[in-house]
Amino acid sequence: MGELLSHRFVSRRGFMKRSMGAAAAAGLAAWSARAAGAKSGTPNPFAYDVDRLKKTDPKWLHYRQIGQFKVPREEARRLTIGPAGRLYVSAGNYVCVLDAQGGRVTEIALSASARCAAVARDGTVYVSLRDHVELFDDKGQRRGTWESPGRRTWITGLAVGESDVFAADSGNRVVLRYDRSGKLAGRIGEKNKDRNVPGFILPSPFLDVELHQDGLLRVNNPGRHQVEAYTPEGDLELVWGKATMSIEGFCGCCNPIALALLPDGRIVTCEKGLPRVKVYSVKGEFESVVAGVETFAENAKVCDPSDCTTGGLDAAVDAAGRVYVLDLVANDIRVMTRKAGAG
Amino acid sequence: MNPKPQPNQPISRRNFLRDGTRIAAMTGIGALLGVAATRSSTAKTSVWQIDPAKCVRCGQCATACVLKQSAVKCVHSYAICGYCNLCTGYFEPEPNALTTAAENQLCPTAAIKRTFIEDPYYEYTIDETKCIGCAKCVEGCNRFGNGSLYLQVRHDRCVNCNECSIARVCAGDAFRRVPVDEPYLLKLTH
Repeated sequence: MGELLSHRFVSRRGFMKRSMGAAAAAGLAAWSARAAGAKSGTPNPFAYDVDRLKKTDPKWLHYRQIGQFKVPREEARRLTIGPAGRLYVSAGNYVCVLDAQGGRVTEIALSASARCAAVARDGTVYVSLRDHVELFDDKGQRRGTWESPGRRTWITGLAVGESDVFAADSGNRVVLRYDRSGKLAGRIGEKNKDRNVPGFILPSPFLDVELHQDGLLRVNNPGRHQVEAYTPEGDLELVWGKATMSIEGFCGCCNPIALALLPDGRIVTCEKGLPRVKVYSVKGEFESVVAGVETFAENAKVCDPSDCTTGGLDAAVDAAGRVYVLDLVANDIRVMTRKAGAG
Repeated sequence: MNPKPQPNQPISRRNFLRDGTRIAAMTGIGALLGVAATRSSTAKTSVWQIDPAKCVRCGQCATACVLKQSAVKCVHSYAICGYCNLCTGYFEPEPNALTTAAENQLCPTAAIKRTFIEDPYYEYTIDETKCIGCAKCVEGCNRFGNGSLYLQVRHDRCVNCNECSIARVCAGDAFRRVPVDEPYLLKLTH
């Protein structure tokens, strides 16, 4: 009888204990089910699949990497090569001068961020500080400051000839022609129906200019996915480039973002979004890939719509035809050389 | 002269049930009042919305909404748009040609209209009656473009469920309550 009574009565404490245990178990089960539902889920039936574009067909890869080194300063933006084969990297408030193996030779300290640089044959270094150009001698001493050409000026590319300096102004969508003393001598590439110049389209500030050995300027027009050739007087002579995600063309909102010239006159292009470096003939025929998306995995992830100036690549070529590729995300430089027997 | 302490008596089943019923009734009434108060204030003061900065374009908005066609739609910030010829929100990753042919379009329901403006600019307009909120175009635009396409809960359709079924499975935790007098989280700049 006593045994029977002990089963019939439940103490309040016991009741509460069991209830709380059951409630906790139920809560935990519900939470796990929800978490599992949210995380495991089914594969996205609407996935935007570009994985196949991230792999480069080996038949196009005509270059191999022979070196890699870090830029000694953060926020590297542009790279150029001087007459003595030294690398000039615009990084943060400095232009770092490196030897071909990445060893620091010297650096030029600036009052603001360096956007790009170009080096004349006499060693004079021209540096863009966004809205104006400053000049330095080969020892890094400031030798001059040019007046800003306008309020919206954003100089993202520089090229130096024997008597001219060309400044690619992304802010005003124009290439400015200066003489070596800093006097403005002309404006190139502005929309002009009479001269059949379509004008630059720049969804993001990546206008670049190079002075080719044929005497024409090469300027990227990223919004049109093209490269254009202009005379120093501003006549449009040649246009090439195709808007496509395929390897032979340029994709996204705005590519190519930077140019470099090989010793034989062929043109190296750099892209963001799908970061890749490619080589085209002077006429614009696609020839080969220096480095594909798989080489710049972190760079491929970073092109962020909240800031389309992040990510991207730049390139410079030395006298031997080696391509130095600056990765703006990894803040490093890869040295690429042509494979023996390639192409 | 304190009374002699009595040993604890076992609680009878009747007393236990009576006390239990009272407590349960009181708890139930309290809970009902609480829910009523919360629901009335929530319905009046806040609605569900997607934070575009957190959205990871997982595709759940198209499939998890309680409505047959989701209350989530793609919207377009024209101030951000580059009016690109090769719009990666409009075209398949490798289109045959940059034309409006169906096989070149990314949108599974052809809900984006492409209109020529002037060389080389095109305008892209969302037909919300066709949009299912799958975010495929949003991913394309964000991956390679300016990010002008993004998702928002449209309040002319949303029934404002107490617990939003999309929010429960949102991979980016992008759903949140926003004040009813500011029901959209708009992208105005990059």
